[in-house]
Amino acid sequence: MEWPSILLSGITLAAIYGLLAIGISITWSSLGMVNMAYGLTFAGAGYGAWMMAEQFSESGMLVIAAGIVTGAVIGVIVCLIAFIPIHDKPNFNVRGLIATLAISLIGTQLLLMAFGPQAKTLPSLFGDWQWELGEELVLTADKVGTLLSSLLLLGLTLAWMKGSRRGLEIRAMMMNPYGAAICGIGVRSTGIYVMAITGALAGLGAVLLCQTYFVSPFSGLTPMIKGVSVALCGGLGSVSGALIAACILGLTEALTTAYLGGQYVLITQFIVIIIVLLIRPRGIAGMLDKAREA
Amino acid sequence: MFKVTRSENWKNPQDVWAPAVTRWKARMLPVGRLRWYYKAPAQGSALWRLRYPFTRRTVLRTRGVYNPKNLRAERTIVDRRPVYWALGLMLLALAPLSIESGALMAAGSVFCIYAAINLCWMLTIGTAGIFSLASPAVVGAAAYGSAWLAIQYGLPWWSLPFIGSVIGLVFGTVIAIPATRLDGFYYALLTLGINELCRVYVVQSRAFGSATGGLYGAPSYLPESWAENEQLMLGFYACMALMIAALFLYRFVNGTRLGRILRAAPEKKEAFAEATGIDFRSARVRVFLISSIALGTIGGFYATHFRGASPTLFSFDLVLMMLAMIVIGGLGRAEGAVVGTLIVIFIEKYLIDWGPARLILIGLIMLGVVLFLRGGLFGMKQQFRAWRNKKKSERRSTRAEKGGEMLPEEATETRDKDQIYARRFDKQQRDFLKTLVTDEVIEEHRLRPLGQHSEQLERLLVYFRRGVQNDKYAIVATVPFREYRVIALSGFRGVAPRVVDDKVYANEDEAYHGVFLRRVQDLLES
Repeated sequence: MEWPSILLSGITLAAIYGLLAIGISITWSSLGMVNMAYGLTFAGAGYGAWMMAEQFSESGMLVIAAGIVTGAVIGVIVCLIAFIPIHDKPNFNVRGLIATLAISLIGTQLLLMAFGPQAKTLPSLFGDWQWELGEELVLTADKVGTLLSSLLLLGLTLAWMKGSRRGLEIRAMMMNPYGAAICGIGVRSTGIYVMAITGALAGLGAVLLCQTYFVSPFSGLTPMIKGVSVALCGGLGSVSGALIAACILGLTEALTTAYLGGQYVLITQFIVIIIVLLIRPRGIAGMLDKAREA
Repeated sequence: MFKVTRSENWKNPQDVWAPAVTRWKARMLPVGRLRWYYKAPAQGSALWRLRYPFTRRTVLRTRGVYNPKNLRAERTIVDRRPVYWALGLMLLALAPLSIESGALMAAGSVFCIYAAINLCWMLTIGTAGIFSLASPAVVGAAAYGSAWLAIQYGLPWWSLPFIGSVIGLVFGTVIAIPATRLDGFYYALLTLGINELCRVYVVQSRAFGSATGGLYGAPSYLPESWAENEQLMLGFYACMALMIAALFLYRFVNGTRLGRILRAAPEKKEAFAEATGIDFRSARVRVFLISSIALGTIGGFYATHFRGASPTLFSFDLVLMMLAMIVIGGLGRAEGAVVGTLIVIFIEKYLIDWGPARLILIGLIMLGVVLFLRGGLFGMKQQFRAWRNKKKSERRSTRAEKGGEMLPEEATETRDKDQIYARRFDKQQRDFLKTLVTDEVIEEHRLRPLGQHSEQLERLLVYFRRGVQNDKYAIVATVPFREYRVIALSGFRGVAPRVVDDKVYANEDEAYHGVFLRRVQDLLES
């Protein structure tokens, strides 16, 4: 492995982690809920994409779209069960966390009952061409496709959050949920948008990661833990922090895989995260806790 | 003979008691205190005075009361939890005698071990409010470490819990370092990651049995020569002893000074606790280390009980299950930890034919508890009482008809139940008397305050005369035969009456009429 390809795989991983981490980060800062059902959204979206490929068409765009839509639908379901009924009740933080954990338990077991334990593979979405740039650097289709599609969706999401009325509402909720509610922003409706958007991001992440891994009921766990770690490292509630952290951890992973071996990936990542958190307890670009007291 | 003449506005005095009038119009709600619990008749019996040795603490907290109906001395147990604990543990101890299936006995041992783990975990999550999801990982690390050491160096089984406690202390110290800086969800998510890190490491490490799916071969306290049943029985009682030890640990951390300090400084209220002089940081580190040592000991015991350790100790599903156990019972309660564990283990181990459906059932119970209950199953009583009080006060505020009679809540509290009926009768009588007050009656009284009167006036006057002494109107002659004034009696011996107004009446009859008018006004206003 040489530097350019390490860099490339690092950036590819960073793109996927970024998708997951931004979803978790936005959910936390606008709804005040740690979405532990993110792994379920991930696995469910993988199954949605797989069913699309199996039943209808193997066209890359359609499979990706199916994954995104399934992810958004699961996100909305999680919101309806775990956010809407208890968001104004006492001790919502802990209860929301546990409710999403329970949903994730139920959902993964339902997936297991419906699809069985054996892993499914997705068709390759971006073809299998290669593009050689010099001697060391080979751009493969899946890496380029992953990078481009995640950047595209991320860019679209961020542009939507910057430019649209709904995005303005979400950003207001992220800044101060009480203030937003006083200004007439519906907490519940915004919650549904947020969960749909973050579910869609997780869906895209699922389809992209399932190029290299497989779709199985429990496949969402590791990506969720990685996404949570990245969000934590970047600072819950900060989009730019999540991106920086995604790059750092993606590079760490690529470097560890190249020089130490795959089994040390989590260890080095956690050492990095713990060091970052010990220096900055709120993450790289995290807001002070006062901003999110609800 | 006599001719009975009646004026046109005569009313039959019996009408007051007509069913249409006496019918109680206000809706009577079944509100009250139903005393369903046991009241011990004995007072001063030895049981009530039973104390723990060398302390002033009594075994049962009781309160002496007198039965309001027969004035017999009675004792009420204020806190019945010791009774329930004793009964429950006795049942658990006797359960193996009636269980034949080995699987159920094994499930019983698993229940006791998990209950012990959950009790220690509850010390960090419930008492200290540190949302650490790495506590199962402490158990796993201690189990793996002690099993590995025992296999490598051929250590005896009784050394495993001690080794485990040392490993637990070291591991606990390591994961306590970030806890000093992070709080709330940052720490919860980080510890979840640490758990996953341990799992991946153990699954991939050859020393820890990546090939065999676990590390087995640790020495066990269960003698190989014993029959299967006897081994199971011994294992069960050993695990139960572990659980009881964990209960004592919980009691002595949560119920003493350390627990008080920690509960005084929950999350987001640290600043206040600090301002009142509570050093919550060192208390948190102390409870974290105590809990880690205990979890490590349990880990060592786990290794010797199951003759090894498996990677499932670190799995996310196990963390989820254990979280389900303590959440279903209720955070911050020992009984919650134990009963929650019982429910989840029962579903998981006993309904094993259900397959994945039983995990879905556990998930649904967890979801239901979180969505509807504030403090788990054992917080239900409190939550129900709060809800009932809310409903009560809503009803009380919607009650339209009032007028001196007692409200249901007041009626249950009052000692003299005659008062309820006296006031109700008084209200009915006043309602009737109000209908008698007419211009003719007042005119009649003005013309002739004393002497024979019509029936209506006579009834009104009788009612007025019957009134209680305090604030009863009277007249006083300030200047005999020329100046009279209305006063109100104080009702107390030695306390002078007060002057009601500065109106001066020229003669006695006018003053009598003035008193009558005031009383009529008071009647109509009541």
